[in-house]
Amino acid sequence: MSKLTFERPIIQRVNAGLPSKYGIPRRLEPISHIDGSSIRSLLEEFGSPLFVLSEQTIRKTYREAYRAFSSRYPNVQFSWSYKTNYLNAVCNIFHQEGAWAEVVSGFEYHKALENGVPGELIIFNGPDKSIEDLKLAISNNSLIHIDHFDELYDIIHLSREMNERPKVAIRVNMDVGIYPIWDRFGFNYENGEAWDAINRVMASKTLDLIGLHTHIGTYILSTEAYRIAAGKLASLAVKLEKKYGLALKYIDMGGGFASKNTLRGAYYPGTDTAPSFDDFAEAITSGLMSSEIKPDHLPMLVLETGRALIDEAGYLAGTVLATKRLSDGRRATIIDAGVNLLFTSFWYDHDIRPVEIVSDQTEDTTLYGPLCMNIDVVRGNLMFPLLKKGDHYVIRRVGAYNNTQWLQFITFRPNVVMLDMKGKPHLIRRRESLETINSQEEIPDHLKNFNL
Amino acid sequence: MLKIKNNIAISDSGFVFDARTGDSFTLNTTGLEIVQLIKEGKDYQGVLQVFLDKYEVDPESFERYYLDFVATLKHMNLIEGNGED
Ligand SMILES: Cc1ncc(COP(=O)(O)O)c(C=O)c1O
Repeated sequence: MSKLTFERPIIQRVNAGLPSKYGIPRRLEPISHIDGSSIRSLLEEFGSPLFVLSEQTIRKTYREAYRAFSSRYPNVQFSWSYKTNYLNAVCNIFHQEGAWAEVVSGFEYHKALENGVPGELIIFNGPDKSIEDLKLAISNNSLIHIDHFDELYDIIHLSREMNERPKVAIRVNMDVGIYPIWDRFGFNYENGEAWDAINRVMASKTLDLIGLHTHIGTYILSTEAYRIAAGKLASLAVKLEKKYGLALKYIDMGGGFASKNTLRGAYYPGTDTAPSFDDFAEAITSGLMSSEIKPDHLPMLVLETGRALIDEAGYLAGTVLATKRLSDGRRATIIDAGVNLLFTSFWYDHDIRPVEIVSDQTEDTTLYGPLCMNIDVVRGNLMFPLLKKGDHYVIRRVGAYNNTQWLQFITFRPNVVMLDMKGKPHLIRRRESLETINSQEEIPDHLKNFNL
Repeated sequence: MLKIKNNIAISDSGFVFDARTGDSFTLNTTGLEIVQLIKEGKDYQGVLQVFLDKYEVDPESFERYYLDFVATLKHMNLIEGNGED
């Protein structure tokens, strides 16, 4: 006779009449496979924890976003936001789909070049471009988005020195009803600074002003904010054409669309609250089309969408290390991935699932990572199935910002695999090793030896 | 020897009611089985044997989860006696 699966015995207090502070309890369906590939086998082959990215989901999401915009507007161009996930395999999927590169540092710029992106299809954003970076970007005809006046003057000097006509756009910040305003970046719209910057560029006569750019923030749930932003950039474009007879090549609306993750503490899940690509596209394109820009001069619409294009495609799978009872009786589950790997657990109540079949039984538990630090909370109080040591978990929607903001702390960053269109895994970033870390270090001669 | 307190009512579905405080609790299947075995007067060895016969579990893991469970029952004031038999 075969024996039954053992579930940890538990007892829980019933709070009759009181609505649960965790909202409606929902059954957490296990996720055993990603794109037909067994998570358990992936962990066996590539180790635990493990980042898994789905090529299918990346392409599907990209095509959905592209269709939403291109079905409403004649000229649409996505530019992949490298900082969101700059694993080369990920970038190249977006490039294969037709996206340009959007970078914010010399490092990212070189990464895009090495991936084979032509210089003139790289958008160079951000406040941190060195003179060397700028020179290279100018000679490659890259699209330089000017962030502040110091940079504007640097570029004017360089254009004379190099006898080149740099292609530039002005980054504009503005009040679109989202607070705080990200006014640290670019030139302000309301106080006239952006218009001043435009005039300064035009007066230089050595720069080619080809675009206007804004990035109003990140994880934005309001489509109306985008309609307002598009309207404000359009009004600058109209003013520019009126004064200088110059029709802009593009308007770049930046990134910021919310992904389907749930913000920490939000009552409703992100799957219910995040607007669709169609909603964002409708707001932006109607903002542009209803502006006074002449219909035959409608500029290309550039989008630097990051998290909404990649979050869904990323998974972090791993293993339960231990379960514990805290001193006040609350439960704790310790897993082998902490906030060092899952930086986004500071923002999100991530959707965490068991990999193996579990019973309906759940308990109020907190999921801790393995770091020896109090802040290492992957998910605070959630109703979670009764996983035991050695059981597996998988965390959904981790594709954005984790593979770029993860920290190397007390252990190595793990393998990352990409499942191809057939679900076959490819290792795309090797687990670090002691050599990886030590190869960056030097020990002065007098510190090489010791006697204990 | 462990003993479920007198004022505790336990239903076959795993519902637990503490008449003294008015608190109620739920047990999962394995939790209920353990409580029933304790009620029948089984000591740890007795409970362990039942579980080893019935479930896919090794004695060491079982002991760990059993002790943790019993400590929780104590924490909730449902049991008297010491954890060790
Ligand atoms: C200039 C710029 N573009 C695009 C993005 C991507 O944003 P998101 O991931 O919110 O879409 C960012 C992120 O901060 C950014 O700063």
